[in-house]
Amino acid sequence: MTTTAAPPAPPGRPGRDGGPEPGGPGRLGSRLFGCVLIAIALALVVAGVITPLAIVLSLPFLYMLVRKPVLRRLAVRNAARRPRETALVLLGALLGTAIITSAYVVGDTLRASIRSTVFTHFGPIDELVLTNGAANGARVRAALDSAHLSGTDGVLSLLAVPVSASSQGPNPRAEPTAQLIEMDFAAARAFGGDSSATGVSGPTPSGDGAAISRDLADTTGLKVGDSVTVYAYGTSVSRRVVRILPRLGVAGLRRFNTFGNLSPNVFAAPGTIAELERAGAVVRRPSSQVAPPVAMVAVSNTGGVLAGAKGTVGVKAELDRAVQGLPAHVATVKQDELDFADRFGRSFTQFFQQFGLFSVLAGVLLLVNIFVMLAQERKQSLGMLRAVGLRRSGLIGSFSLEGWLYALGSSALGALAGLGIGRLVVVAASRVFNSGVRRGGGLQLRFSASVGSVQKGFGVGFIIALVTVVLSSLYVARLNVIRAIRDLPEPPSTGRHLGRLIAGTVCGIAGVALTVGGFTGQQGILLLIGPALLGLGAVATLRTVPVRVRVTVVGTVVIAWTVLSFGVAHKAFEKAGILTFVVQGIILVAFAVALVTENQETIGAALRALGGGSRNMSLRLGLAYPVAKRFRTGLILAMYSIVVFFLVFLSVFSHLFGRQVGDFTRKLSGGSAIEVESNNANPVPPAGVRSLRGVTALAAASQTTGEFRFADRGTDKDYQAVDSVIGFDQSFIGNGSPQVREAVGNDAYRQILADPSKVVVPREFLSRSNGPPGPPPKLGRPVLIRDPVSGQIRTLTIAGTVEANDFRGEQVYVAQSFAQSFFGPRASPSRLYVASAPGTDNEALAASINGRFVANGADANSFHHLVTQDLSAQLQFFTLIKGYVGLGLLVGIAGLGVVMVRAVRERRREIGVLRSLGFSRVAVRRAFVAESSFVALEGIGVGAALALVTAWRTVQSHAFGNGLSFGVPWAELSVLVVATAVASLLATAAPAVQASRIRPAVALRIAD
Amino acid sequence: MLEAVGVRKTYRTGAETVEALRGIDLSVVAGEFVAVMGPSGSGKTTLLNCLSGLDDIDEGTVMVDGEDIAAMSDGDRTRHRASSMGFVFQAFNLIPVFTAIENVELPLLLAGAPAKKARAAAQETLVQVGLGHRMNHRPTELSGGEQQRVTVARALAGRPRIVWADEPTGNLDSETAAHVMDLLHHLHREGLTVILVTHDKDVGASAQRRIEVRDGVVVKDERLR
Repeated sequence: MTTTAAPPAPPGRPGRDGGPEPGGPGRLGSRLFGCVLIAIALALVVAGVITPLAIVLSLPFLYMLVRKPVLRRLAVRNAARRPRETALVLLGALLGTAIITSAYVVGDTLRASIRSTVFTHFGPIDELVLTNGAANGARVRAALDSAHLSGTDGVLSLLAVPVSASSQGPNPRAEPTAQLIEMDFAAARAFGGDSSATGVSGPTPSGDGAAISRDLADTTGLKVGDSVTVYAYGTSVSRRVVRILPRLGVAGLRRFNTFGNLSPNVFAAPGTIAELERAGAVVRRPSSQVAPPVAMVAVSNTGGVLAGAKGTVGVKAELDRAVQGLPAHVATVKQDELDFADRFGRSFTQFFQQFGLFSVLAGVLLLVNIFVMLAQERKQSLGMLRAVGLRRSGLIGSFSLEGWLYALGSSALGALAGLGIGRLVVVAASRVFNSGVRRGGGLQLRFSASVGSVQKGFGVGFIIALVTVVLSSLYVARLNVIRAIRDLPEPPSTGRHLGRLIAGTVCGIAGVALTVGGFTGQQGILLLIGPALLGLGAVATLRTVPVRVRVTVVGTVVIAWTVLSFGVAHKAFEKAGILTFVVQGIILVAFAVALVTENQETIGAALRALGGGSRNMSLRLGLAYPVAKRFRTGLILAMYSIVVFFLVFLSVFSHLFGRQVGDFTRKLSGGSAIEVESNNANPVPPAGVRSLRGVTALAAASQTTGEFRFADRGTDKDYQAVDSVIGFDQSFIGNGSPQVREAVGNDAYRQILADPSKVVVPREFLSRSNGPPGPPPKLGRPVLIRDPVSGQIRTLTIAGTVEANDFRGEQVYVAQSFAQSFFGPRASPSRLYVASAPGTDNEALAASINGRFVANGADANSFHHLVTQDLSAQLQFFTLIKGYVGLGLLVGIAGLGVVMVRAVRERRREIGVLRSLGFSRVAVRRAFVAESSFVALEGIGVGAALALVTAWRTVQSHAFGNGLSFGVPWAELSVLVVATAVASLLATAAPAVQASRIRPAVALRIAD
Repeated sequence: MLEAVGVRKTYRTGAETVEALRGIDLSVVAGEFVAVMGPSGSGKTTLLNCLSGLDDIDEGTVMVDGEDIAAMSDGDRTRHRASSMGFVFQAFNLIPVFTAIENVELPLLLAGAPAKKARAAAQETLVQVGLGHRMNHRPTELSGGEQQRVTVARALAGRPRIVWADEPTGNLDSETAAHVMDLLHHLHREGLTVILVTHDKDVGASAQRRIEVRDGVVVKDERLR
C-alpha cells in the first residue's frame, strides 16, 4: 500500500469547469470535528447577540463618562496626553478587529458572489425537473400540467444538449462548453410573471436563426448577422445570429450540475436538436454512443426571484408526487444555490477567522502588555490617588474607562481596516480561484460587505479588547498604596497558595480526564489540551520544587509531547483540522515562552559572553532589562512566536508541496501522459487520437455527473455531486488509472471490472476537511449513487481509495458496464487517456488534439500541466494565507514599538544616570537596539524553531501522507526572519534615538 | 582644579524664562570639601550640573583640570566624566536591573577598565562602604541607606578626582545620613575633592567651605575650617 501526499484543502477553490468543485459545498466547506463544531455553534449563537452584548458591556463606562467627572478626566486626559503612543496602542489593538472583520467580509463576498448567480443563471427558475430525451420531457410536462401545482406561477419546457460552438471565417473562435437550448421565447418571457428577470426578448428563433448569449458572443466574437456553427452528435449545423441575450435568468441558464460563471448558450428553433441527432446518426458508426439531450421543465415558485425559493420544500414535494413513476428527477436548483452560497460564505469566514486567531491572540497580549506598563508607569500617581480617597473600584474604573476608550477607538478603526484587508484578500482570492480554471470562467468575486458583518467584526473585536482591558485593570489595581507612592517593589506573593493549589489540582484533573478522553475517543485535540492542562496543574501544585526547575521540566515534557503526538497517536489526529494546528501552536508557544522566560538569565549570560562579556556595556544593558522584566518580555515573545510559528509552518508545507509535481504527476497519471475531456454528446473519436504521431496507447472512459452519499448515514439531503464518475474498461488499467492507496486485495480496478457493484473513491470522498487529509472511507462501506437526471438510485461498495483528487476535481471510478446501464447513453466515452512515446512533447500533442477536435469540445491537457497548474493554485492559496497570518506580525512589531517608547519614558532617570557616569549617546542607542533585537529575535527564534520541529515531526508521522519528504525553505525563512527583525528595529529606531538624545541633567532634574 | 568664570544658565519653560545661574565665578582647589547651600530654586543643583558638565551653559567657562568642559563635545565631556568624576544623587539612581556590584563596576567598565579589574575594584569599594555582604543584591532588595552607600561606592570605584553629590542625605534618616557623611569625609581625608549640594545645615557645617547660592548668584563663600 502506498500513499501520495496531498496538501491541506482550502475551504474551496474553483473546479475545473469554472467554479468550486462539484460537491463543492461539501468538499470545499469546512468539516471540523468535535469541539470545533461546538465552537462554531457558540460563535453563531454569540453572533446574534454581539451588538447588544457590546452595548450592555459599555453601559458602566457610559455611566462613568457622564456621572464620574474625575474618572472621566483621568481616563480621557491620560489617553490624550501622548498622542503618538495612543496612536501606537490603537494600531496594535485595531488589528484584531480588522482581522475578524475581514474574515466576515470575505465570507460576505463569497456569499454575495454566488447568490448573484441566482439572478444571472436562474432568474424565475426555482426547480428543474430533469429527464433524458424529448419524449420523456413531454411526459414530464404533461404530468406537471395535470398536477395543478400550488405555490408556483409558471412552468417552462426546455430541451438542451451540450455542444461546441464556433464562429466562421478565416480565424474561427470556438467555445467547447456551449449549450444548445430549444424553448418557446414567448412562454419564457411570461414565465414567472416578470419578463425583465428572464433575460429573454424577441420571438422564438425560427428556421436558420439563433439567439446567442452575451457570454458566447464574447468568447467567439460573434455579432448579430454572423453565422454560428454548432457541433453535436458527430455533425454540425450553422445558424445566423439574430439576437444576443444577456446573462440573465432563463437566457443565462447554466449547464445543469456545473458551477461556472459563464453561460455560453445558443437558442435555436425547435427541432434543431432533433435535426442534429438525425444527421449524426447517419455519419456516426452504429456502435458509437452519445448522450441524448436533457429535457428540463423549469418551475417558478410564487414570490419573485429571491423570495420564491422559500417555497421550495413544498413545491418539491408536489413535483416529486407529480413525476412519480417517470424517469425524472426534481432538482431544487435555486435553493441549492442559495444554500451553497451561505455555506460557502460561512465556511470562508470560519476559515479566515481560524487563521486570524493567532493575530487576534497577539493583539490580546499586546493590550495586556500595554496595561501592565501603563500601571507601572503611573504607579506613584495611582498610589497618590488611592491615598487621597479614590477607592479601588474607582481605580479599576479609571483604568478600564481608558481601556474602553482604546477598545472603542481601535475597534471602530479596526472595522474600517477590516474592510480594506477584506478587499485585499478578495482580490488575491479571486486570482487564486481563477488561476487553475480551464473552462467556464471561474468564480467572479464581487466585493461585498454587509453592515451586519462590519457590526459583528466591530462587536467581537470590541468585546475581546474590553474584556482584556477590564481583566488587566483588575490585575493592576491590586497595588499597595504606600508601596506605590514610594515606588517600592511588590513583595513575593504569600496569600494565594491555597487558591493556586486548588486551581492547579482542578487543571491537573481536567488534564488527565481530557487526555484519557482523547485516547479513548481518538480525539487529537484533546490529546494536546489534556497534557498541557496537566502540565499547568503540575507547575501550580508542585510548589516545593523551585519554579525554574518546575517550568523547565514541565515545559520540556509538554513541548516534546505536543510535537511528537501526531506520530505517537497518529489515528487520533487523522481528523485534525485547522483548529488542531492552532491549538498545537498556542500550546507550544505558551510553554516554550514560559520555558525561555524562566531561563532568560542563562540565555542572557550566554549572549553576553558571546557579545564581548562585561565590556560590551550596551549589550549588557540591552539584555539586562528584558531579562529582569520577564513578564513583559514574555508577552512580547509570545506575540512574535505565535505568529512566526504559524508562518514558518505554512512556509515549510507550501515548500514541501511545491516540490511534489513529479511525484503527484506519476501517481495521478497512472501511466498515461494526456487526459482528454470532450462533449459527451459529441465525444472525440478515439481512432482519430490514436492515429496521431507520438500516441502509443489510448483508453476511453465515460465521464458523467453523479450524486453520492453513504448508505449507512444521512438522508437524501446529504447527496453530494461528484462531477466525474469515470466508467472505465480494461484499457484504462495501467493507462490512466491513478495509483490506489488502499484496497481489499491487490487490484481494485480489476475487482470492479469483475464485480460492477464496486467503486473506487478518493480518500476525501464525501468529506469536508480543510486540514490535512482526513481518514479515508472504510473499504467495504456501502454508498448510494443517484442519477441527477433520472433520479434512480443504486448501492455500490467501496473497493479501494485513491488520493490527491484535489488536482482533478473529485473523481469516482466505476465499471463502464455499470455506468452505461445506470446513466444510459449519457455515459458516452467522452474522456480519453493518451499514452505517448518517450521524448514526445506532451504539451504540443495536447494542443494538437485541442486544435483538431474543436468540434468535439476537446480539452486535452498533459497530466504534468494539470498538476502544475493546480499545485500553483494551492501554493497561491498558501501565499494568501501566509499574508493574512503575517498581519499578526504587525501587532508584534507595533507592540515592541509601544514597549520601547514607554521604556524610554520609564527609564529617563536611569538614562540620565548612565549618561552622567560616562555612557555615550551611541552606547545608549545601542543598548536600546540590543534590547529590541534580543526580544524580537528571541521571539522569532522560538516560533521558527518550534515550527520547524513540529513540521518535521508531522511529516515524519505521515499525517499528510507518505509521499512527503521534509525540507526547509531556507531562502523564504531567511527573508521572513530578516524582514521581521528589520521591521522590529525600525519600530524601535525612533525610541532608541530619543533615548540617546536625553540630556543627563534634564533627565535627572525631571526625575528628581 | 575647578575654575568657573561668568557661568550663566537660563531655562525656558513655555513662555516663561528662568535665569537659574547669573554669572557665577567660582574656583575649587584639589582636595577641598565644598558644600553648596541655598533655598529651593536658588540654583544649587543647576550649578552642580553645569560645573560637572552634565548640563550645557549659556555663557562663561568651566575649566576642570585645565580643560574647558563647556567647550567640549558631548562625547569628550562624557569620556571626561567617566574618567575623572563620580556622582552621588539624592534619589540614589541605581540601575534597578543590575546588582550592587554591577552598578559599582559600571563606571569602571565605561572608562575602559578590564572586566576582572573592574570587578575586583568594585568588590573592594563595596567592602569599603560596608556592603561586602550585599554585593549580589539588586537595588530593590536593599534599604535606602544601603542603596546610597552603593551609590557612593559607584562614585568612588573609578578613583575619580572629584565627586559631585546632590543632596546625598536627603532621602535618609539621620543615623544613615551621618554614616554616609562619615564615609564621604573619610574619602575626602584620603585626598578626594567633594562638591556637595545640600539643604541640611549640619551637613553644610561639616564641610571645609560653604558656598551659599540665592537667585542664581553666590551670595556667600566662607571657609569653615
